[in-house]
Amino acid sequence: MDIKNETQKETRNNRRQDYRKYLSQSATRETMQKDHQRNCTIFLGMFLLATGISFVFNQIASDPSLNIAMVYVLGLFMVARHTDGYLFGLLFAICSVISVNYFFTVPYRNLNFTMEGYQVTFAGMLIIAMITSAMTTHMKEQAAALAEQEKQLMEAQKEKMRANLLRAVSHDLRTPLTGIIGNSASYLEMEEQFSREEKIALVEHIQDDANWLLNMVENLLSVTRIDNETARVNKSYEAVDEVVASSTARFRKRFPEAEVKVRVPDDVVMVMMDAMLIEQVIINILQNAQLHAHTKKPIELFVEEDEQFVWFHIRDYGEGIDESKLKSIFDGEGYREMSRETDSYKGMGIGLSICKTIVAAHGGMIGALNHDDGAEFYFSLPKEMEA
Amino acid sequence: MTQKISVLIIEDEKSICDFVAKTLQAHDYRVTAVHNGKDGLAQLTSFLPDIVLLDLGLPDMDGMDIIRKTREWSSIPIIVISARTQEKEKVAALDSGADDYITKPFGTFELLARIRTAIRHNNKIVDDPVNANRPYSAGGLKIDFEKRLVSVDGNEVHLTRVEYKIVSLLAKNSGKVMTYDSLINQVWGPYADDNNRILRVNMANIRRKLEANPGEPKFIFTELGIGYRMLEDESLA
Repeated sequence: MDIKNETQKETRNNRRQDYRKYLSQSATRETMQKDHQRNCTIFLGMFLLATGISFVFNQIASDPSLNIAMVYVLGLFMVARHTDGYLFGLLFAICSVISVNYFFTVPYRNLNFTMEGYQVTFAGMLIIAMITSAMTTHMKEQAAALAEQEKQLMEAQKEKMRANLLRAVSHDLRTPLTGIIGNSASYLEMEEQFSREEKIALVEHIQDDANWLLNMVENLLSVTRIDNETARVNKSYEAVDEVVASSTARFRKRFPEAEVKVRVPDDVVMVMMDAMLIEQVIINILQNAQLHAHTKKPIELFVEEDEQFVWFHIRDYGEGIDESKLKSIFDGEGYREMSRETDSYKGMGIGLSICKTIVAAHGGMIGALNHDDGAEFYFSLPKEMEA
Repeated sequence: MTQKISVLIIEDEKSICDFVAKTLQAHDYRVTAVHNGKDGLAQLTSFLPDIVLLDLGLPDMDGMDIIRKTREWSSIPIIVISARTQEKEKVAALDSGADDYITKPFGTFELLARIRTAIRHNNKIVDDPVNANRPYSAGGLKIDFEKRLVSVDGNEVHLTRVEYKIVSLLAKNSGKVMTYDSLINQVWGPYADDNNRILRVNMANIRRKLEANPGEPKFIFTELGIGYRMLEDESLA
């Protein structure tokens, strides 16, 4: 059954890939067509413009030939500069030589290729066309190479971030897993020697670690909801009350003894957001306060709004945050030191850096500060019109 | 001794299956467990359980198909077991006929409460159509459907027509999740805008009238991305 399912999945994937390939191919075809149209328009436009101006000169000036030549050379330069490849520049050169010959040299309205110096003009125009086109093509290639380089650099940076996260996560996953395996093993091996209380303590440790793992996994899963390419999220209108209520309810499920005082604005506030992600942000910050404030005083969670933003505040009345760590607290970097000092793997470095990612993807701000009796985290979500 | 309630578990994770089966047996349910959809459908028709616990991610078929196939001939309560992040899946399952859902990982208490609620609602539809209008009462909130009166701790609350409609719908399905779409359909009709913003605004207003602190509701709970669930009626729990 499993194998069948696997193959099904595979064919589905293949089909999807084929479809994507087809899409990208048709997309390149479309852009090529568009480029071609653009080139033709530039060519025709410049040619008509140059010819038109030349006619005007021909009417008003006594000896217009120099001006007309200038106009056509300028036109040629522009066409060669703004079209792709050599074709249109050369075409413009040929057309302009013919048109000058036909319209603006004696005998008018007649082609005469035996004129003196004619070959020189023709060759000159062609050379200008070729040099300009060559230069332009070269410039475009360089620009493309530069963009490619930049993209690669970005990719490398992303890769580095991913690797860092992976390293931190693996470390963080290993510690509670060791606890779970150790506790369950000693339960199974030495069951008879333990008292009832000891057994309960062992199972409680296992549950604690498992809960912590779950929290970690949910954080990581939430990151996958953010679009990898554009760092955007799926937003819809959500009532602030509901997100706040739901987050506190889930938080209480994990910390039944914790006290949270919640306050929402009297007016109904609706904001564009991915509610699951914002819930994760609130839960992470609440947990951070619960685990690190070292106080029994209740945590306050309140929401305010101004003209542009809705602000969420989570305030605790505990130890506060070390000033030196305030700046980097959302970077996931301060995490290592933090965990070493408190001698606990239950640091929230990753949780907070995920908060930052989520809030940034919503176009909001996140921050932390110390007030007189503890720490406060806050984040904002922009009020925007429905797209 | 009364007849034991029979539960069919369709779940491919063996450890979850075992844990649920043990818990339910300890609480006096009769449990049958199967690990794939084909066996599940076969058991459904032959064993006719009182309630089904269904995992949506089965190895051989989509759990949704099981819901649809079952609903063609039966109103057996179905509770869907799924992961937290799959809200769309849950909504689709609920809209195609599942009675409720429970999110992995879940506790014993939660699971038992969901099963009780689902069975009670199912019995109500079958046995008790006349009694459907008896008042709702839970945690200080009282709703008298005949007089259309809503009160909290004895104080009457004035709701608009639409607000009352929403509250009474939730109360009649108390303890059970109701999706945004099903609420919108029943309050505004099938041709209503499928944007659920109007429902959200109404709900926020209802909370401001019913709840002491709308940020910490006691009566109507939000299931983010899915819908609302009202506190279970005390006289039935």
